[in-house]
Amino acid sequence: MSEGAMAVVKPEMKSYIWLQTADGSIQQVEEEVAMFCPMICREVLQTGMGSSKNYAIVLPQRVNPPILGLILDYCRFHQVPGRSNKERKTFDERFIRMDTKKLCELTSAADSLQLKPLVDLTSRALARIIEGKTPEEIRETFHLPDDLTEEEKLEPLRNITDDPRIRLLNRLYARKRKELKEREKLKSVEVEEERVDERSVDDLLTYINSGDDKGVRANKSKKKNRRRKDPLKDALSNKANGDHEDLEAVPTACSHSEAKDLEVATPHKALKLQDFPLGTFSPKLEFDDSYMDDDLDPAMREELDREVEDFARRLNPDWPERIQEILCLDRPERKLLPVHINGTSSSCACISLDRR
Amino acid sequence: MDDLISDLPQSILESILTRLPIRDAVKTSILSRKWRYKWASITELVFDDECVSSSHDGNVVEQSLVKFITRALFLHHGPIHKFQVSTCYLQSCPDIDQWILFLSRDSDVRELIIKLGEDEWVRLPSCLFNCKKLTHLDLSCCELDPPPRFKGFSCLRSLSLHRVLVAADAIENLIWSCPLLENLALSYFDDSLAITIRAPNLKYLYMEGDFTDIFLENTPLLLSLSVVMYMADDVAEHFELEQSSNCNFVKFLTRVPRLVSLAGRAYFAKYLSIGDDPGPLPITFDHLKIIELFEVSFEDMKEVLVLLRLITSSPNLEEFSISAGESTSPAEAPDSLDIWERECPADWAFKQLKVVKMTDVNGIPHEMDLVKFLLGSSPVLKTMTISPSTYFKHDRMVMLIELLRFRRASSEAEIIFLQE
Repeated sequence: MSEGAMAVVKPEMKSYIWLQTADGSIQQVEEEVAMFCPMICREVLQTGMGSSKNYAIVLPQRVNPPILGLILDYCRFHQVPGRSNKERKTFDERFIRMDTKKLCELTSAADSLQLKPLVDLTSRALARIIEGKTPEEIRETFHLPDDLTEEEKLEPLRNITDDPRIRLLNRLYARKRKELKEREKLKSVEVEEERVDERSVDDLLTYINSGDDKGVRANKSKKKNRRRKDPLKDALSNKANGDHEDLEAVPTACSHSEAKDLEVATPHKALKLQDFPLGTFSPKLEFDDSYMDDDLDPAMREELDREVEDFARRLNPDWPERIQEILCLDRPERKLLPVHINGTSSSCACISLDRR
Repeated sequence: MDDLISDLPQSILESILTRLPIRDAVKTSILSRKWRYKWASITELVFDDECVSSSHDGNVVEQSLVKFITRALFLHHGPIHKFQVSTCYLQSCPDIDQWILFLSRDSDVRELIIKLGEDEWVRLPSCLFNCKKLTHLDLSCCELDPPPRFKGFSCLRSLSLHRVLVAADAIENLIWSCPLLENLALSYFDDSLAITIRAPNLKYLYMEGDFTDIFLENTPLLLSLSVVMYMADDVAEHFELEQSSNCNFVKFLTRVPRLVSLAGRAYFAKYLSIGDDPGPLPITFDHLKIIELFEVSFEDMKEVLVLLRLITSSPNLEEFSISAGESTSPAEAPDSLDIWERECPADWAFKQLKVVKMTDVNGIPHEMDLVKFLLGSSPVLKTMTISPSTYFKHDRMVMLIELLRFRRASSEAEIIFLQE
């Protein structure tokens, strides 16, 4: 009778804290759950806020209602003192299963509420997501813009390995840059001629590609080439008008599904390239017999070719297919270099092969 | 398609990057413009064999690892709080000197862990001792030579030396000069070492190797002690002949009244038994909860006595594990068999003892007496696990029959007999 009445927990005996999220909505949360967050705890103790709807604690910007719900779930579980470590761990493992976007928001929100155990948990989960992925996969997962120039991508590697071949490539690169700069200065923009040139380049491509057994990919690159007509006008017209008819290209070892073109040398061009979304660049590569001024004999050059290819192979898992396609594009008579499949994942560099 | 992650606070990104293997962390530099140098300011650098691609040729791996570490240090900017190199490929290379010099210059490094291959001993440069803020030093397979005017690491909390070539007095001085030292691990010094430890704040001590003598001169706060004491047989005999009245047991254990956990292996029990039996100890180890003693020789009366003194001075014992050494001689003469009744205090009870594990049991009388004593004086005992030694094959039935008869103070006690 009276015992039964006393067994009912009267609502007013449980105390609640009022929280307001960034969008203005206010909710009440059990006190012991909310106090698990250091930031809320401090607010309550220092300013006395949160005791009623009108005096709700304003949560930081990064905490929106759904994320707050997740955080409170976490707090609700962990603030119970009697749980074993194993129970907590199991809960954490299950709790952390969510899509990446939510995970990042959760990390951010937990950090703003100074809930360190949750920050550690989410950081660990994010690290696990990043670990072992190629840069491209990471960019895709986190929607990162691929806004580094080829040169910039090369820089870290240049320093880290101190590879003489990389230094050589950079020298070639720099020289190419200089040349392009000069050509630009001389060239005036002539639209019709360039169009004609463009088409001839395309024809050339078609001709080359039609003889290629990797026709599919080559066709793709042909299409992209068309789309990218305008900014490449200058460069392509330069080439078309120049002595050489081969195309310039940069196979990137940073495992882009499509490699970018070389013309990132000048800031002007670099800007333009960045306007373009991924996937519109075509892989083109040229090998030149008269590579460089450095008095390299053909044997050395061959070895360099091989070393560069080996180097890029180690960096780029797509490399075997890429090199086949590239070599086929360029000279049908050039022998295919032996390509070894290597299981290493791509790393932080790309190389540029250019020609004079 | 917004960028999900690049605008998180630097502290979170650092937290993520330090949880990645260093190679993956460096690779983030080509993700996007914002990520270019994020890795370069992480405060923890951990290098191991995974940093570089493997190869059959150890020299190749060594060279690429050296290059990787050097370049990473060069590109890094900002404070480095933790630097770790664990590899067996770096045998002896001058680059280590440069790295430590680099770290010691800014002297921000707090944790330094260097674990190298076992073939050659690298002599660590003296600039190591300029790292004033070190809190954690862990060295393996190297040579250490503290400069004569070295004042000590004033912040050092944890010191671990494994296979480190260093003079005994240099170690002692090093330990003594680190006033905040709480955690000490010394293992495998090449020569037999007699060592004195003065560390007023020491809480955890682990020692393994060829020690002729361990003197805990000033370790009043010690909570956990773990000793694996190897002794050449001739040294052990020499000790027995010496017959000093100074009982090692007293000398050793009475200086650590706050001990919570004691573990001893190999010759430790023998070491403690050297000297005369002190009789019932004047002090009790009120905090001692866990005792693990391995390779106790139950035929040796003196060792059994040490064991007896130890456990009857530990009223709050909760877990007890013991294993017998190899049975070298047949059972002792029966006149010593009543020591358990003689020497144990009357009405002695282990009021907290819940778990007992006995391994390598041979059914020797002293062993059975110990079991009988434990069963009879442990009112809250939950499990006693007995595993017979592999050499003890024939009289197991006899032993089990004897076991069955023993009185049990705890009605809940389970005796678990583990066959192989």
